[in-house]
Amino acid sequence: MLKNDITVEICGTSGDGTIAAGGLLNEAMSRAGFSVIAYDSYPSEIRGFGRCVTKSRFGLEQMLAFSDKVDVLISLNDSQSYSRTPFLAKNAVVLFDNKPLAKVKEGGSIAAHVGPDANLFGVPLINLALEAGAVRKGKNLAALGAFVALFGLDPDFFRPVITNKFKTKGAEVIETNIKIFDAGFNSTLNNYGEQAVEALFAPVKNKNKGKILVSGNAAIAKGALDAGLELYFGYPITPATPIMEIMAKELPLKGGKFQLMEDEIASIGAVIGGSYAGKRAMTATSGPGLALMAEMISLGVMTEIPAVIIDAQRAGPSTGIPTKTEQSDLHAAVFGGPGDSPRIVIAPTNVKECYEYIVKSLQLAEKYQTPVIMLTDCFLNNRVENVLLPEKSSDQMKDCNIYPDNSEKGNYKRYKITESGISPRAVPGMEGFVFSSTGLEHTNDGKPADTPQIHMEMNEKRHRKILNALNDLPEPEEFSTEKLLDLGLITWGSSVGAALEATLKAQKKGLKVGMLKVPAIYPYHSDHISNFMNRCQEILIPELNFTGQLANLIGHLHKKVVLRLNQTTGEPILVCDIINRVEDILAKINK
Amino acid sequence: MKTSGKALAEKVKQIKESDMLSIRSESLPTWCPGCGYFGIQQGLNNAIQQLGLSHHKIVNVTGIGCAGRYAFFNDAYGLHVVHGRLLPVATGVKMANPELTVFAVGGDGDGLAIGAGHLPHMVRRNVNVNYMLFDNSTFGLTKGQISPTSPIGTVSKASPSGNVDTPLNATLMALSYGATFVARLYAGDPKHNTAIIKEGIKHEGFSIFHFYSSCVTFDKVYKTWNNLKDNVHPLPPTYDHANLKHAIDHVLEDDFSMGIIYKND
Amino acid sequence: MAGDHFIVIGNGPAGSQAAFTLREKAPDAEVSIITREREGCCHSHLLPKFLAGTVSKKDLFAISFDDYIKKGIKLRTGQSIVNVDISKREVLLDHKEILPFSGLIIAVGGKPRIPEPLLVFKDLLYPLKSFSETTIWQKKLLNVDSILMLGGDLTSLAVTKALLTLEKKIYFMLNEDAFWPLRFNKTLYKEVSRKLTEKGVEVLTGLKIKSIARISEDVCRVRIDDQEIEAGLIGAFFGLVPDVKFLVRSGLQIDRGILVDEYLSTGIEGIYATGDCAQIYHPELHDYWISIGTKNAKALGRLAAVNLLGGMEKTKVSKESIFDIDGIKVNTSWWSEF
Repeated sequence: MLKNDITVEICGTSGDGTIAAGGLLNEAMSRAGFSVIAYDSYPSEIRGFGRCVTKSRFGLEQMLAFSDKVDVLISLNDSQSYSRTPFLAKNAVVLFDNKPLAKVKEGGSIAAHVGPDANLFGVPLINLALEAGAVRKGKNLAALGAFVALFGLDPDFFRPVITNKFKTKGAEVIETNIKIFDAGFNSTLNNYGEQAVEALFAPVKNKNKGKILVSGNAAIAKGALDAGLELYFGYPITPATPIMEIMAKELPLKGGKFQLMEDEIASIGAVIGGSYAGKRAMTATSGPGLALMAEMISLGVMTEIPAVIIDAQRAGPSTGIPTKTEQSDLHAAVFGGPGDSPRIVIAPTNVKECYEYIVKSLQLAEKYQTPVIMLTDCFLNNRVENVLLPEKSSDQMKDCNIYPDNSEKGNYKRYKITESGISPRAVPGMEGFVFSSTGLEHTNDGKPADTPQIHMEMNEKRHRKILNALNDLPEPEEFSTEKLLDLGLITWGSSVGAALEATLKAQKKGLKVGMLKVPAIYPYHSDHISNFMNRCQEILIPELNFTGQLANLIGHLHKKVVLRLNQTTGEPILVCDIINRVEDILAKINK
Repeated sequence: MKTSGKALAEKVKQIKESDMLSIRSESLPTWCPGCGYFGIQQGLNNAIQQLGLSHHKIVNVTGIGCAGRYAFFNDAYGLHVVHGRLLPVATGVKMANPELTVFAVGGDGDGLAIGAGHLPHMVRRNVNVNYMLFDNSTFGLTKGQISPTSPIGTVSKASPSGNVDTPLNATLMALSYGATFVARLYAGDPKHNTAIIKEGIKHEGFSIFHFYSSCVTFDKVYKTWNNLKDNVHPLPPTYDHANLKHAIDHVLEDDFSMGIIYKND
Repeated sequence: MAGDHFIVIGNGPAGSQAAFTLREKAPDAEVSIITREREGCCHSHLLPKFLAGTVSKKDLFAISFDDYIKKGIKLRTGQSIVNVDISKREVLLDHKEILPFSGLIIAVGGKPRIPEPLLVFKDLLYPLKSFSETTIWQKKLLNVDSILMLGGDLTSLAVTKALLTLEKKIYFMLNEDAFWPLRFNKTLYKEVSRKLTEKGVEVLTGLKIKSIARISEDVCRVRIDDQEIEAGLIGAFFGLVPDVKFLVRSGLQIDRGILVDEYLSTGIEGIYATGDCAQIYHPELHDYWISIGTKNAKALGRLAAVNLLGGMEKTKVSKESIFDIDGIKVNTSWWSEF
């Protein structure tokens, strides 16, 4: 059953150390050589309420998406985890506390909720924690020990991770936690014997050398820091907050400045101000924040000032479901704000790209003097992968601003009309280049103007500039085995992984299915996209929104009406959902 | 000491070549003739010139409204932003380059209506930005609606039966938020203002200058030049601008005393 | 009746039959089965063939999990009951969950019997009565070439046959009194011995085990009288005894099994025992008897369910078919099944 690809869920409340246990598990499994993709889902309520679930998939190859079903459920709190039982795979392993402190009523144990095929493994988690460490909270570590024993893993991959986790809390705390982990391990070994469950494959040693286990949020923060970010302004909002928190800690250490602002308008305002003054600046927010920023982003477009905004999308509209994922800000990112305000919108599809694209975003913002919105989503921001990130290099820190030539001194036209649309940009402090910028339509030297000719000319220049940025944006990537396809999937953002896994599966079945990943949302590579479309009988665009926002944007490039797979479950799209739809469509084509 | 004609000519040439001459830009202000903002600009320009600030190291971040146009009338770096958001933008500019002298310039609608939420936070951050709040109790650019500082009873197209909402007092707000430099100034007294503006620019931290001005086009009843002129007066000789409690008490009683209301270095 | 919750303990032939009967006759009631086993109800007589690889796992299981789900029977696998509270009418599971019941059928079956003198070696003896025990054998056999068979119930002969197909070296300790529940007469005993020897089994007769020592993970040294042999695996085949230890403090009447009347009632309203774990009163014998074998178990399972729902069916067993072994009266259908 469990050979080279397992999905593990840990479920409890936030008070049960659920997320912490997931973090330790991921780190240790990464050390053990597994490829890791993990995602926590948690309520937006404060500590002690609501359900926390950490989901991790471990395997040999790089993990593209989550599996549809859960192979192992570790329950830290049965009153929460029973809700996870519908997602269990056949013959799933369920690890739970079989000696809670008090007797429970019928249905109070997860044992009441699993199907007959489930493999229940009761381990007295709380008792073990109390005996070994006198702390009930340690049950998460007892559970990890039990997991290691059940699957015949080497506990030495886990012990150093636990030590590391508690290193700031002193030797005593470390010892206690290791003791609880060992107690879980030994008790399970004694009760169930070695390899009570079929053992996992042995991963290759040092396979993950150089890789780090990192979330999308952390990768974004790291990328921005490596790219020499100088200013960060932010306001807390789920699920983008971790980026801000990392910046608050790290940016000042690197000589940059961090400022918590009073709202998202102020955050993007300060970013515009800082960029105007010549510094690399960014902010991160989610849909509601992006909405507040819309006017200021359009100011950035009009004044041609760089700004980088991460929009970690969540379920909307309005406050929506803050901790659930969705890809429904595409329209707002591309079109949001007054008037025609072209800006760059880019969407990474995995954790590694979160790092690469933030570096790119910061550079493109400077080069093209424009707001750049990087669209991520809760699933991508919070998911953790072990990835090999590029070495920090001077390339990443390279100043991409195009400054005016000295010859322009004294006669500087800030908004000079050029072929590329890019007008060399002076920054305050430069002598002889004083100019004003305004959100009003303006002449080439930045003075307000309302004549038809100037407005048309400037609109044209701004759009031309952004379309030119296409040359610097990541190209669409195709995954097809044949030239002519029955069905082509076009995907973006965090849904790419699941779509690719579905595509590969379909191709293995001999189906003529291909996939195009679109990382540049605006401007988009219309030639490339329509070329792909022309080779497909049907086009299907799966995305996590109700209206099919990418389909609305690029659908016109296809000769036929594009098909849509829209989901608003708040959860990442499932491989099986895409495959089912693909097979439905193919069945109709081949009729 | 007497300066020779040649030396004087040399000095004038030097000044002409440097950007210390006049901060006024080639664009003439589009404010209505007789607008109080001319007076404010004059006091401000004098202060900049007297302090010898290099124009390329000045940034004017301005809001929307008549006052916001200030950016275009100045030979310095200007950033005319969206309505009400000049303070956050100015924060970004100053934090990006502390060597710049940053002015945030906006009117009462911009700063006390749409943008009022930023003021307390600007005060909390205490970033070294000079906020020039031009208060003429009118939305001038949209043709004369009442603003948050309009007196009760003001009749406008937005208040045909007269304003019933209590006016805000920006000076008192700034004091209560904990601003470390608060000045209240009369637009019609550029000479007096110059010295105070200079002191505010030198103040390390956020400075707010609350200018009483008049809108000659839309307000013929309340904040007219005559009404202002008749009412404004200097702070009492015994006034201690280092005492916050005293300052608040004073402002609660006297709406028209002009000068440095509070300063804490 | 709606609102009723009937709990069946055990998912052997008796337990599952009881549950399906309850479901059929009381469509609105909640029916749960609690079983310690992780797998479903299996044809235990096929286990030796499964060991030999001639029967697939799928064929081993009489009823699929889906069958339970379809019928709306809640089957809880891998869960055991540690106490029955007859006054509160609830059972306590090992994981401290309390299940109230309106009717209870105990059908926990038997557990492998280890004769008194061998109990000290219990941990070194491997019975083969359930699926989980069979999987342990499977794992062991990967590393083991020689097996010592002790006892000699009918399973043992089938297992021996399976092991021979796997080309293992087999020692068979054949004692006249070791067979259970049958006792062989001299002729039958000699016949079995001859047949085993013919097939290449080394038959050890008339001897007593003095000691067993594990010398490595996969080797045990067994002293039998003066002889010493090494075996990788020691099988214990002494039949089954009712597995009712968890009921000792319940207030139910226990002897070897749970004492029930000829209607399978424990005497406590709504609590019945059936199958291999029940000791059933026989009015003619004026004594209790134990039933063994799948066929009997199924019939008894059905009967318990019918009577729990208000029926008054009696167990019907002729006096003559009941044997007396070790002081226990036994009725078995084994030979008709093999």
